[in-house]
Amino acid sequence: MTKHSRPFSPRAHSNVQRRDFLKLMGAGGIALSAGGLGFASRLAAQDAATVAFWATATLDIGDKWPEFAKQAGVTPEFTDNGNDLGPVIARLAAGNANDLFDIGGFQGGAEKELARQGVIIPWDTAKIPNYESLWQWAKDIPYLKHDGKQYGIPAVVNADSIIYRPDKLGKIDSYGAIFDPKLKGRVAMEDAWINSAIFTAMYLKESENQPIADPGNLSESELGLVMEFLIKHKSDGQFRTFWNGWEQGVQLVADQEVDAMTGWEPIVYEGRKRGLQVEYAAPVEGYEGWGNNMVLLKGAGDRGVADTAHKFVDGLLGGFYGCELGQARGYLVPTDNNGVYAKAHPDEYKPGEVEKLAEHVKAKFAGKIYWQNARPDNFQLYEEWWQKLRNA
Amino acid sequence: MTGSRLPISPVLITPPLLVILALGLAPLTIVVVWSFWSWDPSTYWIKPDLSLTGYAGILEAGRWTVIISTLVKAFGTALLCLLIAYPTAYAVHFLAGKRLSILLLALITIPFFTSYLIRSFSWRLVLGRTGVLNTWLQDLGIIGAPLDWLLFSNFAVVVGLVASHLPFATFPLLLSMRRVDPTFLAAAQDLGAGFWKSLTSILLPLTMSGIFAGFLFVFVMVVGSSTEVQMLGGAGASIVSVMINDVMRVANYPLAFAISTIVLIVIFGLVLIGNRVFGLASLFEDQSP
Repeated sequence: MTKHSRPFSPRAHSNVQRRDFLKLMGAGGIALSAGGLGFASRLAAQDAATVAFWATATLDIGDKWPEFAKQAGVTPEFTDNGNDLGPVIARLAAGNANDLFDIGGFQGGAEKELARQGVIIPWDTAKIPNYESLWQWAKDIPYLKHDGKQYGIPAVVNADSIIYRPDKLGKIDSYGAIFDPKLKGRVAMEDAWINSAIFTAMYLKESENQPIADPGNLSESELGLVMEFLIKHKSDGQFRTFWNGWEQGVQLVADQEVDAMTGWEPIVYEGRKRGLQVEYAAPVEGYEGWGNNMVLLKGAGDRGVADTAHKFVDGLLGGFYGCELGQARGYLVPTDNNGVYAKAHPDEYKPGEVEKLAEHVKAKFAGKIYWQNARPDNFQLYEEWWQKLRNA
Repeated sequence: MTGSRLPISPVLITPPLLVILALGLAPLTIVVVWSFWSWDPSTYWIKPDLSLTGYAGILEAGRWTVIISTLVKAFGTALLCLLIAYPTAYAVHFLAGKRLSILLLALITIPFFTSYLIRSFSWRLVLGRTGVLNTWLQDLGIIGAPLDWLLFSNFAVVVGLVASHLPFATFPLLLSMRRVDPTFLAAAQDLGAGFWKSLTSILLPLTMSGIFAGFLFVFVMVVGSSTEVQMLGGAGASIVSVMINDVMRVANYPLAFAISTIVLIVIFGLVLIGNRVFGLASLFEDQSP
């Protein structure tokens, strides 16, 4: 599965620590003053509007959460779930996650399974006014609904394809480049079956007319077809490596270990910062769309904070969060509210850039999209095939 | 001269035994028991059973070859570490003065100043196409193009593993060398034995427990490692812990526990054999007069 985690930066880490320290000092002072002036009860009341938010680091906006809380009226307590759905699901089903957290922010695809397990409960979109502002194609993302109920709400979306060096390869517009024998040893894919399998399936379906219905949810025979194709290419030495994580992905491009690889768009931006010519392909086969979706954990309902959770999600779609996330990571909250907020606060966020990001992502979704599915029906079989690939 | 020992009180020995049981044996026992349970999709967890499904899974998809290759990597790394660590420990203990010895010991610990991830990642900068080594070789005219096999290969994995685990071989050897009575070596010299004779006849036998301890420490840690393989290995490179992570992600807990059990059996077997043959326990015996 995709791990869209925060890029590692020692300088940023140091600054974050310093800012946290200063905030702590400031918060301490405010607390003392408030207590002394008899505002303790108000603080206690304010603390009641809090949700425990358990999500991938992709969704974290760090020191901007206080501003979010001020606007949305809900303070999130963010916890990074590591973006690995296996342990997340296990902890929900057989652990204590529902005792600790109220809202989950997960890669799309597991909603059905989680709903079946009874560990998540459906949203009431009528309690989320900003839900209607979501773009229709975002509302239509598969896996968000189960048995007619809304279990997932997309908070962040983007679409992945190929990172490549145009100065070496010219224009690339097909996943065929990843499997081109002429590029043997100069390409890479991600060490994650959920992404590499779907990219390969898209290529085989669209460019080689193989009988594949849904690249994001392969049947047993389709999976065999896809994985045998990958195994053959691996055995032939096609792939320099399978990358794993942000730092590895960036380094492969920056140190010129590969000329093309399937991967995340932010790597393109990072490569450009390092002075390289790097582009993101618009493959004829389409993009792999993905979403980090909000799910309402059963525990929130049990604890009576479901309404607060709805209010929190409404805040995520209100514009400020989208502007901040877009600026920090280049990812998109699929709503026009981002642009509205930027126009109202041009000193904080540049309206032009917010609009540019929106149009960029919209353009991807205007074409062919196959949705990532972090929990396909045959998910255990995917892993078995991935072992065969590893050992080939 | 025989020294007297304090009598062991059952009351005093109980707390540490309980700690060992609670933190060591109990979790391992649970893993073994659970390896025979079966996956229950209705609860997304395992249920009591006496099933061999997990063990059968090891025979599928080439998983058993990962176990074998992991053991081979561990064995090879441990041997290489010993080959490097033994002369290092010898130099630190017998050749360096007290002050220099302390300095060298400090230098040996440098790898631990950074995380496993950073240590492994840094090797990419050395071994990569545009890395230090390839650049240097090309500048000298020794090669005309980068050597691809330096990185994302078994070679790179072994380099990373040795670099990460060398201290764990060095310190047990140092410990065992410090327990060697220096008069033995002095007597050997007085009787005309040369360096190699002294080494093979006296020092090696007397430090065998340290040799095995160093081997065992490195072996066990490599078996449980993952970072070096993920950072430096080729496409889809695997090792036991990577495989276990893979199966845990898809909730195949019986298989994960079965793999762990097999590895545990191998390691415990190695410990038992090693202790009997090489006297590992002697490394920790109290030899005070």
